[in-house]
Amino acid sequence: MTICEKLQQALQPLFPLCDVSSEPLVKDEPQVADSEKEESQTADTPTVGVLWTDAGRYGHHLDIVCLPDQVVPVAGIMDREGFFLEAITGVDWLKRQQLEVVYDYNRLGGEHCRVMVRTFLPRNNPVVPTVSSVFPAADWHERETYDFYGIQFQGHPNLIRILLPEDADFHPLLKDYTP
Amino acid sequence: MGEESVPSSIESVPSSIVQFAQLDKLLNLGRANSLWPMTFGLACCAIEMMCTGGSRYDISRFGAEVFRPSPRQSDVMIVAGTINKKLELAVKTLYDQMPEPKWVIAMGNCAISGGPFKVKNNYNVIEGADKLFPVDVYIPGCPPRPEALLEGIMTLEEKITGKRRWPRVESC
Amino acid sequence: MSVPLHLRSDEVFVLNLGPQHPATHGVLRVKLTMDGEYIVKAEPVLGYIHRMHEKMAEDGIFAQFMPNTARMDYLHALAFNHGWALVVEKAAGIEVPERAEYIRVITVELNRIASHLLWWAAFLLDLGGFTPLLYAFDDREKIIDLLERVTGSRLTYCYMRFGGVLNDIDDEFITGTRDFIKRLRSRLPRQYHDLVTHNIILIKRIKDIGFVSAEQCRRYGATGPVARGSGINYDVRKNEPYSVYPEFDFDIPVFPEGDSMARYMVRMHEIEQSMRIIEQALDKLPAGPVMGKAPRQLKPDAGYYYSAVETARGLLGHRLVCDGDKNPYKLKLRSPTFSNLSLFGEVAEGMLLADALAFMGSLDLVIPEIDR
Repeated sequence: MTICEKLQQALQPLFPLCDVSSEPLVKDEPQVADSEKEESQTADTPTVGVLWTDAGRYGHHLDIVCLPDQVVPVAGIMDREGFFLEAITGVDWLKRQQLEVVYDYNRLGGEHCRVMVRTFLPRNNPVVPTVSSVFPAADWHERETYDFYGIQFQGHPNLIRILLPEDADFHPLLKDYTP
Repeated sequence: MGEESVPSSIESVPSSIVQFAQLDKLLNLGRANSLWPMTFGLACCAIEMMCTGGSRYDISRFGAEVFRPSPRQSDVMIVAGTINKKLELAVKTLYDQMPEPKWVIAMGNCAISGGPFKVKNNYNVIEGADKLFPVDVYIPGCPPRPEALLEGIMTLEEKITGKRRWPRVESC
Repeated sequence: MSVPLHLRSDEVFVLNLGPQHPATHGVLRVKLTMDGEYIVKAEPVLGYIHRMHEKMAEDGIFAQFMPNTARMDYLHALAFNHGWALVVEKAAGIEVPERAEYIRVITVELNRIASHLLWWAAFLLDLGGFTPLLYAFDDREKIIDLLERVTGSRLTYCYMRFGGVLNDIDDEFITGTRDFIKRLRSRLPRQYHDLVTHNIILIKRIKDIGFVSAEQCRRYGATGPVARGSGINYDVRKNEPYSVYPEFDFDIPVFPEGDSMARYMVRMHEIEQSMRIIEQALDKLPAGPVMGKAPRQLKPDAGYYYSAVETARGLLGHRLVCDGDKNPYKLKLRSPTFSNLSLFGEVAEGMLLADALAFMGSLDLVIPEIDR
């Protein structure tokens, strides 16, 4: 069994669906699927689930869209399967009034498998639980995402700015920011 | 004797009570020949500064190989790299801590004007070291070659002594 | 590791290391809570050279970001060029001719050797030795001469384009590179290993200092020589091959001890492996064009793309989000040193200050890459 299949099996309890088409997720199109899913947030948001993608074209093997509350259980499963947290970042979808948090997981040695986990938050109140209790690497990455986007990570031990001056009062990577 | 007030006979005091024309020239020559830079490499230009200290370009020929980490022991601050809003206070403090006579060389486009980071949505970069303190010599380049830094040191020596002591290379 | 019991006092003080400090390799500030000479707590403070690269990526077109890539990690700028070119080529579906791939590999590996030489010089400067800097810079100038012939720059290269490279290499570059490899191979045993690697002072200063376990590396996301010095056999060139790396026969040096000496040896062996790759690439260099077909107006399909390359410091990732427009919608640069430095707080507790600086030097930090 490949790592991706093993991971899919481990994620089964959280996402009760089977893998579907290998079409990429496009900005405004909902994910095409023919089995049960959990509800999505708006009509334009990609629906929650696990998608297999073409790693040669996109760079990652699995694309997981989850709800904000599922972020920590998914991170726990990744930790148990031996992945490491490569990066956490945010994306500002101004038109949909959503902020997206993207987690990249990779494996250190052995079979290569990169997994992208995404979750969508409302732009006016972006709150998501922290994964720094599972992966200490998340500590600085979440601080950086907070610094750039203003996303609040609940439970973070030290959520202060990391790259901008501590007394800055703006979040520069938001699309409607002008200096 | 008693106590009487003595009227002052000197109304204005000259800036330097005693002036030695030749000794000043000698002091300036000494200062120009042994400029001790402060290690203030911030970014990419710092590497070219290190190359200038290496054996091919050899800043030691000009007496300037003694890079002092402490501002209190250095003559010239070579600002090599981009200055940030977060770093602004530290740079100003370092400049204030240097004893007189002191000079500043702005090395690289970032130190002159913000360089490639002077963009429309600039929220963090100070556009030039001369926004914070007076700069004596500007060395353009991104990063400037080690020869350009040496030319900058020679220009600073010209500024200190009043005349250029090294041959100028005419463009051919 | 914590402060020995008989040395613990009730008074701690806060010592500020940096941002202007000769040993911090850039503008890094570390707030050290000290108990005498022992570190009780170490918190790196970043952001002193944050230059808005990710915002600049969103404001310009794809091609306008290429000069930025070199200014992040200026010591291995060509690998950063390569990572950006790779992710955009993936997104837009641009093919790269084989000769261009070989030239990319040759120049990136030459740059890797130059980066490791400068790391070696700066590391020993931190430990107090000035002479190795002069030897390393001598060899590094030869590499810079070769790369300047072909790219036009000494340090911040903007050499790669989407679809290939800017200039072709000529015979003088090829003979120059072969001569350089011969020269460096003859110098490594004496000027590098006899003088420094087998030097008792260096061994006493870095052996068993700064132990990082493999599990710590995984939990903090450390990659590159830091992970390979802790026994983890991971190199992007072997585990997630890109470009023409599968065609070459080279080893990945892995040392299981986990201390600064292991990380030092990993990098010294990597210099030799890079020379092997360059020799093989020069032997197998095919003829052909150096630039593929790339559209003038680049508008890749919407989607999420990722590319990973191995720089001298670890895994560099580009997470690109496109929305079909001519600007990138979002670019995240996963910088290897950012994750490597996050180890510092945990590992430096209980160390002596001088040992902590030796550990920091062995991590090979380039601060503008962390701050972007």
